[in-house]
Amino acid sequence: MNVAGLATVGFSHRERLHHWWLRRLAASVEQPLPQRQLFLIPTRFGLGWAVLVVVLLLFGINYQNNLAYGLAFWLFSVGVVVVLRGWLNLLGVTPGLRLPREAFAGSEARLGVVLKARSDRTALELRCDGARGRVDIVDGLGETELALPTPRRGIQALPLLRVETRWPLGLVRVVAWVRHDAELLVWPHPVEEDEPVAHHAGAGLEAVDFAGLRRFQPGDSPGRVAWKQWSRTGVLTTKVFSVPPRQQLWLDYEACRGDPERRLSVLCARVLAHHQAGDRYGLRLPGLTLAQGEGEAQRRRALDALARFPASRSEGQA
Amino acid sequence: MRALRSTRLTMPAVLADGRGLSGGMLRQLFIGQCLVLALHLAWMPAWLVGLALLVAGYRLVQLRRGLPRAGILLRLAAVGSLVLALWLQFGTLGSMDGLVGLLLGVYLLKLLETHDRRDARVVVVIGLVATTVAFLHDQGIPMAAGALLAVAWLLQSLVWLSGATGLRQAWRETAWLLALSAPLMVVLFVTFPRLGPLWSMPQMDRASTGLTDQISPGDIAQLSRSDARAFRASFEGRDPAPGERYWRVYTLSHFDGIRWSRATPEQLAATLDRPVDAFVREAVRSPWQSPEGAGFSAELLLEPDNRPWRPSLGTPLSSEELQRYLADGTLEGLTPLSSRSLMRLSSSGSPPTNSPPAGERWYRLLPEDANPRTRALAERLWRESGSDPDAYLEAMMARFGEAPYRYTLSPPRLVGEHRVDDFLFDSQAGYCTHYASAAAVMARMAGIPARVVAGFLGGERNPDGHFTVRDYDGHAWVEVWRNGAWQRLDPTAVIAPERVEQGTQAVDDGAEAFLADARFSPLRMREVDWANRLRQEWERLEYRWQRGVIGYQRESRRSLMAQLVSWWREAWARLDALLPGRGSLSTALSLVTTLVVAAGLALLAHRGWRHRRRQGDERWLVGHLQGWLARHGLAAHPGESPASHLRRVAPQAGPAGRALEECARDLERLAYAPLEEAERHQRRRRLSNRVAEVCRRLGRPRR
Repeated sequence: MNVAGLATVGFSHRERLHHWWLRRLAASVEQPLPQRQLFLIPTRFGLGWAVLVVVLLLFGINYQNNLAYGLAFWLFSVGVVVVLRGWLNLLGVTPGLRLPREAFAGSEARLGVVLKARSDRTALELRCDGARGRVDIVDGLGETELALPTPRRGIQALPLLRVETRWPLGLVRVVAWVRHDAELLVWPHPVEEDEPVAHHAGAGLEAVDFAGLRRFQPGDSPGRVAWKQWSRTGVLTTKVFSVPPRQQLWLDYEACRGDPERRLSVLCARVLAHHQAGDRYGLRLPGLTLAQGEGEAQRRRALDALARFPASRSEGQA
Repeated sequence: MRALRSTRLTMPAVLADGRGLSGGMLRQLFIGQCLVLALHLAWMPAWLVGLALLVAGYRLVQLRRGLPRAGILLRLAAVGSLVLALWLQFGTLGSMDGLVGLLLGVYLLKLLETHDRRDARVVVVIGLVATTVAFLHDQGIPMAAGALLAVAWLLQSLVWLSGATGLRQAWRETAWLLALSAPLMVVLFVTFPRLGPLWSMPQMDRASTGLTDQISPGDIAQLSRSDARAFRASFEGRDPAPGERYWRVYTLSHFDGIRWSRATPEQLAATLDRPVDAFVREAVRSPWQSPEGAGFSAELLLEPDNRPWRPSLGTPLSSEELQRYLADGTLEGLTPLSSRSLMRLSSSGSPPTNSPPAGERWYRLLPEDANPRTRALAERLWRESGSDPDAYLEAMMARFGEAPYRYTLSPPRLVGEHRVDDFLFDSQAGYCTHYASAAAVMARMAGIPARVVAGFLGGERNPDGHFTVRDYDGHAWVEVWRNGAWQRLDPTAVIAPERVEQGTQAVDDGAEAFLADARFSPLRMREVDWANRLRQEWERLEYRWQRGVIGYQRESRRSLMAQLVSWWREAWARLDALLPGRGSLSTALSLVTTLVVAAGLALLAHRGWRHRRRQGDERWLVGHLQGWLARHGLAAHPGESPASHLRRVAPQAGPAGRALEECARDLERLAYAPLEEAERHQRRRRLSNRVAEVCRRLGRPRR
């Protein structure tokens, strides 16, 4: 008990320290990078440059050569100016994240990074979770995508985004860590079942069921315009038809075989397949039932549910 | 727009894999190598150009054909043949030239194994070192300008390596770097203390000037006619008249029948069995002369030479630094000069007055049986002048003036054993060396202590007052010991007085012989007026550069610092008198107050200016207004245009609603309506007023 108490205190202590450190170290997203959170780190080439300046200075001293003195001083001054220019290259850049719309486990997610600044910036390097990218800010905006690996299903917290620049000579690295609370919701890796489900009965159906009228929008086919309605009311409307649902079915966790992750993967693949076929489907997971539905929203709801399905419960159930 | 820009982002320095160098980057590095090599080319073997082309060609073929990288064997063979070639060229690798050649060769060969960003940076750094080493050859203005170009190019290569995306961007960044760092460089250059060499380094071999420490009339048929500069001098106070410009360098006191040679203090001490310090002493003031009678005070800008000689106008008296004063009234530096340097020297302008250090006998020594005809002539003249040395010397000089003696820069060669006889009685043509040698021999034959002095006569006066003395100004004359002082005798002045007055080029047959060794010298154009003026302007510039920048060593730094401090003191005193209150504290306080007030005013002016500029920009105004609204909880929806945002929130804004509506209308008209400039201006002002009104009515946002 005592030991456990100590452990929690230590943990919270460390946590606090970690939080403090994060606050001190990392700038926040969607805000211009402030001075306090830009860090200057000399590169190996920068150290070599320092040695070069010293060598040239010794050369000037020993040969009493004023031009050598001059060049040594100039290269030193260039080193100083480089620090300033590199620092200004990163100062005031506003980093923003654009989360990928979908990410499946076992592949990669394209995390969009948007950098904004009032003036042009050059050669900003981004690093997040092993992925790298390079951005130039032109006309106030620069964006790129980082290919993040998504090894496992579930909620994946993203580490700090590192924005750095070695512009203009590569002598110093100006680094800023950007903290953010973005999380990736990684959907399961879709796995096709051994025997493909035959449900193409409804293929080739056309939208024939009259579903109602809506206000005319430019681009609507003239054949669909409700001319009679127009002659009567003077309001231009368009007839809307709906595609009849092809199949109505339930995807059931209990009906799948294999370990929990595999079942989720199979369900994922089936959600994708049924969505593609335009079916109307519901999802039954232990402890969660998703009503039948269709369309993009249903697909997203179903995949999100699969992604959030707690691993511990699945193990318990298994 | 962005797409268009990104298509222009061509030629990245580093390939897409993040490591390999692109062909364009290799070309950059190669051009940098060419620029650095060009700095060395005048002093280094020309086959280095071939090496550069060979390496670049190899890389080109390798890139085009996709051949594998240069293997270790090829690289070793390349380095081996480089070393061999340098060894064949210089005979050794230990000399400075050999070392510089090795550095350049390695720099060029490094391109063979330059494959990634790191390699490229190493190449650039070696290039910077090689540029610095080029300053050992020369530190003139052309060299400095060339080095600036090379350094700018190398920096630009580094900018490419750090991810520049376009030519303009790379050069703009380079220009910023150079321009922003220049002031700091200048401050460091001026204030950094100048130290002596920390340890000895291998020195460049320097060709000596035309001046030698032994002369043998007739051996070499031609006088040095190079136009290389020997030294430059500017005088504080009076300039010497043309007939006074005798720069003494060496005295030659030993004659073996054919040649006059110099006896160094060490040789004299060994020969005469006396301590060395009877002949030479290291001092700041000459221990041999009294300091009175300092006629000239000159600042000499000396060219590098492998011997430590220093010229002095007449007898050297004192300098600012330690020198070796020789008892014969000449001067040596402690070390040879490896680069141009400044020396201040005051000197008497006339031959020394101290008694012959080696004793009078030493200056009467002659080989017994040499030159019998001259001896007979000397005996005859001695008898005719009634054994009076002064009359004898006068008769001797007069004889040089009368007889068919001719001054020529290309006299016939003399090869006989009795050179003076051959010259005086057969060829009867020669230049200063012949006449000086004959005169000194004849003086010694009459028992008058005499020596030959080698040095320079004359010099070209630049319009800004400094004198340039060149190799072809080299001269030899005689000093004889009479009445307790050395006396100058210049037989050349009798035969060719115009040589003394106007320099070598004035001598009759000088026209084609003069400058025979310097075919393309700008001095050949001295008849063309504008060309001559141009040359003199250039020389003046070059002199100031050498004095001010290259000669900026310990002394000049100290005096400049002293001057800066005195200026500061003076300014402080003036300020002290100007500002109210007494004492340095109150002055400092008022100074700080003034500065703070000035800075505050500048800041206010800057803000006002920015504000004014923003008032004229409706986009900024609306952005400002939207930000203000957002802080009141009336933020725009994503994708909403500014005008519709203002319209939407107008009903919720209470008293500011009407102003908001008007803002929206003005904004739309400014954005879409084709307006005259005057009306546009008026609308902007109205918009600006409305925005101010909205802000006022809404009040400060609650946080």
